[in-house]
Amino acid sequence: MAADRRSSWLKGVLDLLVLSCLTAGESYGYEISRALAEAGLGQIKGGTLYPVLNRLEQAGLVVGEFRAAERGPGRRYYRLTDKGREHLGAESGAWLDFHTAVRNKLSAGGTP
Amino acid sequence: MTTDDTGYFEELASALRAAQVPEEQTAATVADLTAYLAETGTAPEEEFGPAAAFAAQLGAAAPAVTGPPGEAETWTWTADIYNDRRLLAVHGDHGWEVERLDALGRFVCRRTPRTALRWEYRREIVGGRREEVLGRLVPEGWEPCGEWFFYAYFKRPKAASAGPAALDTLPARPVRSWYIGVKGWTVSAGWLVAVVLILVAYYSRHVDFAIAFPVLLAGTFGMTYWVRRTVARSSDPAT
Repeated sequence: MAADRRSSWLKGVLDLLVLSCLTAGESYGYEISRALAEAGLGQIKGGTLYPVLNRLEQAGLVVGEFRAAERGPGRRYYRLTDKGREHLGAESGAWLDFHTAVRNKLSAGGTP
Repeated sequence: MTTDDTGYFEELASALRAAQVPEEQTAATVADLTAYLAETGTAPEEEFGPAAAFAAQLGAAAPAVTGPPGEAETWTWTADIYNDRRLLAVHGDHGWEVERLDALGRFVCRRTPRTALRWEYRREIVGGRREEVLGRLVPEGWEPCGEWFFYAYFKRPKAASAGPAALDTLPARPVRSWYIGVKGWTVSAGWLVAVVLILVAYYSRHVDFAIAFPVLLAGTFGMTYWVRRTVARSSDPAT
């Protein structure tokens, strides 16, 4: 039940969270997944993360570049585009407004 | 990499090629995902879900990438605006992907055994603000799948929000293809009766053209406005 609810919450904001992982510079799949887990958002499976990255790339919000490695398989690195940065700023504001409304309502309902 | 991992990635690469993903991109994707697994230490199926379904997510969401084309089922159905979203959710959960709306506004669906995904849908009013709606929804993975008058339908595989969710068993295709509720029939029948009454009055010379035509015109606009308002009121911004 709790996992279902978290999954549902993530549904509306995962793309923004992924974009936010790239504000400080480029990153790759596993590093993004780890950053989200360390932020307390739970373990995001690759089967969920990669389609999100794919869509963000198709929408022109991130750019991916594959780089071969000297040892082992190469990685695809993603970086934020100007459009992605703009999108993140605008949509983060909308999400935070929503978050504030939820928090105010829950607080008014007696939740500390 | 274990033998199981190799088999998984071979299946994934094959499915991506079948979805017309360029060879270079397919190789880079497989390498990237292999590197990902090397760090997580998990099995590919556990991390990414079934290879065919995952490939469909990565290769422009084309679930019918494997299996003979003849296996695909098609189904066309319709519903009124009071029932469409509820039924789209039900049938989307059963693997039906809406490909388009036909000229009669019916949902033309497709489903392919073994690679079918669960789909979620949403309805939006687009009259005059198509770009704004697309700009908001496309980055979230919503893809337009049809329009009917002033509202549009969007689809997205549930895996986009809830992780891999391929369907192992598919419920049989519904026998029923018409889902018009009492409200829908009442509105349609009421409108038809009103039009017939006005036309009868006109042809029996009880009403002038100068009255019948404006009444019909006003009725049409009124009906359109009422349906639009009903759609707007019943749209849930959270879905």
